[in-house]
Amino acid sequence: MRFQINFKSGKAVYLQLVDQVRLAAASGAIRAGDALPGIRPLAEELRVNRNTVAKAYTELESQGIVETVVGKGCFVRGNSSPFRKDVRRKLLAETLDDAVVQAHHLQIDRSDFLRLAEERFDILESKRTRAAND
Amino acid sequence: MTELTMTSTPVIEMTDLVRRYGRTEAVNGLNLRVQPGRCYGFFGRNGAGKTTTIRCLLNLLRPTSGQVRVFGLDPARHEVAVKSRLAYVPDHIAFYPWMTVRETLDYFASFRSHWNLDVEASLLKRFGLDIWQKTPHLSKGQRTQLALIAAVSPEPDLLVLDEPTSGLDPIVRREFIQTVIGAYQDADPGRRTVLVSTHMIAEFEGLIDEFTIIDQGREVLTLDADAARERYQKVYARFASEPHSLDLAGARMLNRRACEIEVLVNGNSQNVIDRLRAFSPESLTVESLTLEEIFVATLQPAGAGA
Repeated sequence: MRFQINFKSGKAVYLQLVDQVRLAAASGAIRAGDALPGIRPLAEELRVNRNTVAKAYTELESQGIVETVVGKGCFVRGNSSPFRKDVRRKLLAETLDDAVVQAHHLQIDRSDFLRLAEERFDILESKRTRAAND
Repeated sequence: MTELTMTSTPVIEMTDLVRRYGRTEAVNGLNLRVQPGRCYGFFGRNGAGKTTTIRCLLNLLRPTSGQVRVFGLDPARHEVAVKSRLAYVPDHIAFYPWMTVRETLDYFASFRSHWNLDVEASLLKRFGLDIWQKTPHLSKGQRTQLALIAAVSPEPDLLVLDEPTSGLDPIVRREFIQTVIGAYQDADPGRRTVLVSTHMIAEFEGLIDEFTIIDQGREVLTLDADAARERYQKVYARFASEPHSLDLAGARMLNRRACEIEVLVNGNSQNVIDRLRAFSPESLTVESLTLEEIFVATLQPAGAGA
């Protein structure tokens, strides 16, 4: 996968890496068992401190997205969240709350919002399908 | 990350450091703390007091007052213990002109109890340095490369770089600073600490995880790099008609034309954005400042250079 860092986005650099891996895993661009790049080569490629990459990988590991095999590297895990279903629902609800608030400020009403959510699901799913057929 | 948040002795700790040259105060009450494993930026304009500070740190200069600790030790009283654990690359590098690259490295190695030949060999190879070349025949970039190899091969706990890229072309400096710091920190990242003093901030953007900006010998700003980019943002808004009663107190105006406004915010972006939104802008964008822009914004008095 290709990473891109934007220092102007206002988001911590390590979180940008975390989000890109999460997106790649969700869209099927990377799959269970795939190795993430080594810390030092990735740090060199992106011109960031190795601490930043290490911090991103630690965060991904704590979220259950990847696992580290000592001496081998960092691998994408199967789709198995370490959290119970009710916890997972609660985590998602928090993210949705932000989107709902944002929708209010942008004057997007409920039905529009729900239609948009459907659309976004479709887009992600078609990406997954394409990735699976590659 | 746990290895960074562990409470341990700071690698560098300066308290109220003052250094005068005659009546001139080059460093004027500086405080600086660098934790192990960090890549720490020490930013200031030419003449801000960076080199004087570093020379106090290395015991090349005696502070007029204040306290300096390196690895928890006073470098004036424990000079050998301190210097054996650090390496310093000054802005002006001098080698013995009769020595080759190989002889120069052997000469540096003779002062060290430890020297990693693998690190040395891999960096020589990456930079394509000819070990039989006499040092006066090296280009400026190659001389810096050689100095950096000599600095990281002993695998010190602290690497001090003073304007490491001054006078080099942009491609060379982007390439090898990354390579050298990567090679240096890779083996023992929790312990290996870098202090980079520079006014060329853009090329260290991604490498720096914390920084101090100094001006006229004083600390102006110390922040984590990510936190800094989150705090300092530029907000641009365009309106259909001029928003006359818009109050933007607390934001620094960068640009204001009839229907367009660009302001600099410092930690209060949400509040400013809300006030702009109240006037229903046609377009509103928020962008973080880079470390270099933060440096400029910090040292530029409000209202100047808008």
